[in-house]
Amino acid sequence: MAKQEVIAMILAGGQGSRLGVLTELVAKPAVPFGSRYRIIDFPLSNCTNSGIEAVGVLTQYQPLELNSYIGNGHSWDLDRNNGGTYILPPYLSQVGNDWYKGTANAIYQNIPFIDSYEPKYVIILSGDHIYKMDYLKMVESHIRNGAEATIAVIEVPWEEASRFGIMNTDETGRIIEFEEKPDVPKSNLASMGIYCFSWDVLREALIKDEANPDSRNDFGANVIPGMIEAGYAVYTYAFEGYWKDVGTISSLWESNMDLLTDPSLINLRDLGWTIYSRNPQRPSHYFGPESNVDNIAITDGSEIFGECHSTIVSYNVVVEEGAVITDSILMPGSYIEAGAVLTRCIVGMDTRVERNVRATPDEADGLDLFVNDKLCKDGITVFAPNLVIKEGTKIVGNSMIGADHARKYPQYVEEVPHYSRMEVSL
Amino acid sequence: MITDAMGLILADNRRIQLGALTRPRAIAAMPFAGRFRIIDFTLSNMVNSGIKRVGVVALTKYKSLMDHMGTGAPWDLDRMRQGLYMIPPYINPITREPDRTDAQSVIDYVETGDQKYVVISSSDFVTNTSYKPLINAHIESRADMTVLYHEDGPIEGPPSMAIELDEGGCVRDLMVDFPRPASQKNAVGLIVISRDLLLQLLAEMMARGIADFSIVAILQNYKRLRVHAIELEAPLLRIHSVASYFDASMKVLDRDIRHMLFSVDRPIYTKAKNRAPCIVAPGSGIVKNVLASDGCAIMGHVENSILFRGCVIGRGARVTNSVLFQDVQISDGVVLDHVIIDKNSVVKMDGRLLGQPGFPIVIEKNAIV
Repeated sequence: MAKQEVIAMILAGGQGSRLGVLTELVAKPAVPFGSRYRIIDFPLSNCTNSGIEAVGVLTQYQPLELNSYIGNGHSWDLDRNNGGTYILPPYLSQVGNDWYKGTANAIYQNIPFIDSYEPKYVIILSGDHIYKMDYLKMVESHIRNGAEATIAVIEVPWEEASRFGIMNTDETGRIIEFEEKPDVPKSNLASMGIYCFSWDVLREALIKDEANPDSRNDFGANVIPGMIEAGYAVYTYAFEGYWKDVGTISSLWESNMDLLTDPSLINLRDLGWTIYSRNPQRPSHYFGPESNVDNIAITDGSEIFGECHSTIVSYNVVVEEGAVITDSILMPGSYIEAGAVLTRCIVGMDTRVERNVRATPDEADGLDLFVNDKLCKDGITVFAPNLVIKEGTKIVGNSMIGADHARKYPQYVEEVPHYSRMEVSL
Repeated sequence: MITDAMGLILADNRRIQLGALTRPRAIAAMPFAGRFRIIDFTLSNMVNSGIKRVGVVALTKYKSLMDHMGTGAPWDLDRMRQGLYMIPPYINPITREPDRTDAQSVIDYVETGDQKYVVISSSDFVTNTSYKPLINAHIESRADMTVLYHEDGPIEGPPSMAIELDEGGCVRDLMVDFPRPASQKNAVGLIVISRDLLLQLLAEMMARGIADFSIVAILQNYKRLRVHAIELEAPLLRIHSVASYFDASMKVLDRDIRHMLFSVDRPIYTKAKNRAPCIVAPGSGIVKNVLASDGCAIMGHVENSILFRGCVIGRGARVTNSVLFQDVQISDGVVLDHVIIDKNSVVKMDGRLLGQPGFPIVIEKNAIV
């Protein structure tokens, strides 16, 4: 294969267990975001906009939907003769390779793939962040610093710093210490989980890490602290701009709402840095004769006959007349029947909410059978994909309704087969 | 099952022009229904019928058509074998005019295909239907060619192709552009014909010096050939004039027509533009009975209208009964009624453009009003 100076590897194999029922059947990077997108559209579009033409996507957990979404990479201009997107699942070999044990092990297992491009630099990305970033600027900073590893960092509010991996640097930006979730942070530079390595250095470090039986084979926990300790030139690259880890229900909801409250935060209308996505091949969206909409984002194939306020409407969504949706996210293919009232809800793909269902944070006489305070906070209620919420069901906030409830409470929830989803909604 | 037919789309038509709207583009490239062009329906119908080789015959001004079609990837026509073929006219090297006929380049395209039948479509109508039953009916009837018709009453004045049928369902009379036709039946620009017969007709046209290769020119052989006619049952939107374009656009606001035109089983494919989702801003006006597209930003009042991708409707603006093409900007306080505005045009602050039902005002591409 022809050489590529820079290649990117996207870690897309995580389960995203804090998203609960939303990632029961799909990997987190395939979760819909911001009306027209999936989360992985952001790193993939950043790659193509940065001029990176070889992208490996490491999958492991529930990869079917993610694989079919990415396809041959055409939607991101990544269907190329030289380079392009490669889906890289774990594989068996004669020496008995195994599942990806950790983020570093996932890259370790794909050393032959990376070697085939003879790259100078490898960029490691997460498949679950919403941001726009020119990765080549990071590579330039890596070269300028004479670094062997560069870690993208963002300033976080001091009071939140103890929730992140914090980088303590000298005045040149060289990292002298890395602290994972420190009680008393010495800096507010948080790691974004975006790394640039000189490939020869990383290759060696991965082989060493693999040989260490005590290692969890994780970049953040093992490889990077190990490199700092061993005296490698590890630098920060300060990123300014919008960046959000959408790993929890609250952060997923907030990040979606950011598109409405301040569209300039992550300007999706910037034609110079387009976020690409798979085209659902549906007609324009339609606002009915009695529709009442205000502060919404909406895309192809959706039809609004009822009321939507401060809501993200994805593609192929129907809101019938008399339904009232507020502060919510309607994922692709969801269908809201007449008289339903939803506030602070996330409705999963292809889920149908029947007539007069009510789900609001303080719903009087609402059922508390589905409350999941561990995953759902701030009154947000989540409906899994492929459900039918039965007519008239009332639900209190912080609920999470999944397929297992359909078995326990068939009077309120029914599960529908999801095989049609890819054809209809993708 | 393999469809043993190739497609041939006539992208332009000297008889059918829509004034300022077709000045910069072929009729096939006319924007339609918010995010499509007329040719998307023709191409998608062919592809959804199993046709894998499609030639597009252009006359002039085919730049926007070529931009749109590219390699044919949106219709899965970017193929190693077969796929999409652009057929521009051959230019005479001495006169610099399009050569004697449009036919030679068409002959070259048809001859190199190995399918037994050719589905020929004009670009003055929009529908969503499978051509497979039509092809099968053609094969079964053993007619020389089969044409689609629609029973949409007498069409007064040009352009029209009124037909009458004999008891065997074959065309016995064809009246082109006749002002007072009696027949309820009107041909739709869609013909199935065998490759060999088409080549023979094309060669004859060349020999007789007939310059215009068109649906009419082929149908006019009805006296000596058996032309079988089949009724189109799907909704049909004819686009023959600015007024009929406007009416056809407004019909897409009807839920039933829209759902039949954009069936889930037979998607209409188009080129992706990757615009951001449409935003209806906080405190916008009423937005009702509106088809809008990605990249739009709506701050004003919009009713009974169609917004193509990237339209901006300013605060306090009032847009009713109008069709706004891609990236049209309507400034604050503007009032529009019965207006068609072509791509990239801008209507400045507090402008007022009021057309009449049946006589929409047309603003041309890149205009500043």
